[in-house]
Formats: sequence, C-alpha cells, structure tokens
Amino acid sequence: MEDLEIVFHLSSPISLGFPWVFFDSLLAHVMLREELGEKYYSLPTKIPVKDIPRPPLKYYRDVPVASVSIIEPAPSLQVFSYFKRGDHPFPKGRISRGSGFFKDFYLKAVYAPAQRVRFYATGEAGEIKRLVGKVSALGKERNIGFGFVKKVEVAEAEGEYGLVKDGLAMRPIPVKYLRYYEDSAYLAYKPPYWARESVELCAVPFTRVELG
Amino acid sequence: MRGPVHQGGAGLDEWLEKWREYFLTYYDEGGVEEKAAEAAEFARQFIDRALVSVSGGKDSMAMLHIIATRVKSSVHVFHWDHGPWLMPREVEREILGGILRVAPGAYVHVAVYSRGFSERAREEWAPWYEEFYKALEELTRRLKVRYHLLGVRAEESSRRGSRGRVADRVRWVEVHPLYHFTWRDVWAYIFRHRIPVPSVYYKYAMLLGWEKARLVTFFDREFEKYGSPQLDSNLSWRWKHNPTAQASR
Repeated sequence: MEDLEIVFHLSSPISLGFPWVFFDSLLAHVMLREELGEKYYSLPTKIPVKDIPRPPLKYYRDVPVASVSIIEPAPSLQVFSYFKRGDHPFPKGRISRGSGFFKDFYLKAVYAPAQRVRFYATGEAGEIKRLVGKVSALGKERNIGFGFVKKVEVAEAEGEYGLVKDGLAMRPIPVKYLRYYEDSAYLAYKPPYWARESVELCAVPFTRVELG
Repeated sequence: MRGPVHQGGAGLDEWLEKWREYFLTYYDEGGVEEKAAEAAEFARQFIDRALVSVSGGKDSMAMLHIIATRVKSSVHVFHWDHGPWLMPREVEREILGGILRVAPGAYVHVAVYSRGFSERAREEWAPWYEEFYKALEELTRRLKVRYHLLGVRAEESSRRGSRGRVADRVRWVEVHPLYHFTWRDVWAYIFRHRIPVPSVYYKYAMLLGWEKARLVTFFDREFEKYGSPQLDSNLSWRWKHNPTAQASR
C-alpha cells in the first residue's frame, strides 16, 4: 500500500451533485463498469449493496483511506440551466409534457470552473493508476460536456492524507471513530454513497478532527 | 476551507452588505413606500374577515409586516409546517420566530403535515395538498373568515398574473395585496424594515440571483423538473440525510 496524490487536470468545468466527489466511489464506479461491460448501462437504478466492488485501498476500520475532491482553484459555484426534452418518437394525439413519461425537465447543473481536482489516497499504486487512467470525465452531467479530464497524474504523497491532513478531515469520518471533531453532519461515508446504510453522523470534510 | 463557497462563509456577508446598500437605495427611488401604503389600504377593506397565509417566504413575510404594522396587529395567521423531511427544523424555527417578531400581536395557527416526519414525504406529494386544503378549510370555517390574504405577485408567473388581485375560490376569496410588487420591491421592503427571512435564502440568492431565490420544500421530488434537488444537494447538503436527528453546528 502506498500513499498517493492523484491530480486530474480538467478541460471543462466540473458539475457537482454534492459538494464533494469521493475518490473511493470513483474507483468503485470504474471497477463496476469494467466488471459488467455493456451491462453497466442497463442496470436498475439501485443495485444491491453487496455487488459494489471494493476498491484496492487501505481501510481504517470500514472507512476507505481516500479523500474527497479538492477542487482548484477554490470553487465558486455557478448554475447552468438547460431543458431536457424527450427525444423519443411522440405518439399521435395529446400528451402531457408536465408529468409522466413525456415530462420535460428544466434542469439546473451546479458547476465549478475548475482546473484541477486533487485527491489523496492510500492503496495499491499500480491498480489505482490503471483505474484512474480509465476516467474520462469527473462529476455530474458528463454527457453534456462537464468535467472532461485532460490528463491525470499519480504521484507519491508525503504522508497518509486520505483521512486526515494537517489536522483536517479529508473525507466524512464517523464521529464514533474520532476523539475530537469540530463539526458534524449526517453523511454517507462509504460506497454506495446513495444507500441509507452508508449514512452515519460524520465529521464534515475540511474541518478539524482527531482520530480516536 | 476547500469545500465550495455559498455555504455561509465569509464571502456571503460581504456580498450581502453590497446588496443591502443597493436595495436600501432602491426603496426610495423605486417608490416602495408608496406601494406598501397602497397595499395596506387595499388589505384594509378585507382584514376584519381575513386570514393571512404565511409560508415564511419573502413575499408572505413582507405582506405580514405591511398588515401587522399598518393595518391590524391582531390578525389571524395561518402557517403550514411541512415537517422535517421537507422543511428542515432550523428553517422552520427561523420561520416561526420571524412570524412572531413581525406580528407579535397575531394569532398564529400552525398546521403540521402528518406525513412530513417520514422520508416518503419527499417522494409522494399528492397527500400534502389534500391535507393542507383540509386544514385550511377547517380553520376558515372555525374562524368564520371569508378572505385569505396571500403574498402572490403578478410578476411571478403568467398563471399567478392571471389570477388577478382578488380571486373567488368558492370556499373563500383570495386577496393578493402585493400583486403589483416586483421582486426588487419585496427585497427592498425586507431590507428597509429588517424583516427576518430564513437565512437559507441568501445562499440561494447568491447562486441563482435575487429574482430566482425562492423558499420551497427541500429535496422535494415535486420540484425535480426544475432542478431544485440538485441545488439542494449542493447548498443544503446538511439536510439531505436524517433531518429529524440533525447534528449540531
């Protein structure tokens, strides 16, 4: 296991569905896509929790030693509004576009004009390098051009910064594993991040903590 | 701090101060005082048989202030509490505190959404309306009121504009004292009279602009088609999970 610093250089702004992107989640996503191939794109919305691959990372209890995204320069959020209309063949006669199958969406993508996204993690360097090389875009709304990756660099980090760096939590860490925490909130702290089972009272990323 | 801004950081205060100056200047130049006086006079003719509906949003809070300070202090106020999954308790406390500060002499009637304590409230919104109208109807009957004063403005949407300033809804008559106000008028009135509105407004206004900042239920799938949950996930992420047992801040 090596301490790593992973830097994604972007060629377009990154759209966010949450204030942070989770590195372990990103690896799990690439691994699952590799494992399932084309079937990945026809999965039900939420697959059973047991089928999520375990990324090649070090774990502190059940917390992956992998930071959340550090967006550079410090993000100033913007909103991109767009319409999403059905492109399917419309049937004859009246259809409702306010609700139901043909519903139109007036969506808002929250994005940050970023140049780089940095992560820290501890894990199997070779495998992590291979997996991040397969990431072509980061964040949400990648299908409309957000978060394109120009280049990715993986280097050795000076220390194990995936959990704590300079006294700051680098990811959500359950407070039950901490001796001290400055701020807390209910957050998912392990994949899958959408599952209720992953939610615990956690220290908030980039706030002061001490591991227990 | 490496996380996104717009989360109540130092930049917010500076930004807010700049806009406060703008709205205070606009208050005089835009004739907001005259509009408020006119709205008060308009409301006066209905007030003795009226119920004032207050969501806690900017429009209803401005209307409540106009009525409580210029027309009648002992008004009946109706407020609907959506429950913690749709309206986080911090916001609800700010709303109720604001109502009591703006109209200390009012009779405040709060109806609580029975399903608002379940996560399903975010997915299924049809029962919301049913319960809301039932509660409102009961209160209308009990207080023997005829008029419902709402903070509806014509500028908000063509549908709202088409309602007119007085709309007969059979069960009651809707009256819209702020019908001719613009979003600038409302914010200017709020800043000039220091009306308390939920602080979450400012985070959303900073990102979306003052004219588009609205107080709506959080993480509500009803507003998915407008992209609201996406905004909430970024700006109100603290309330995404387990809002009934919120951590302290």
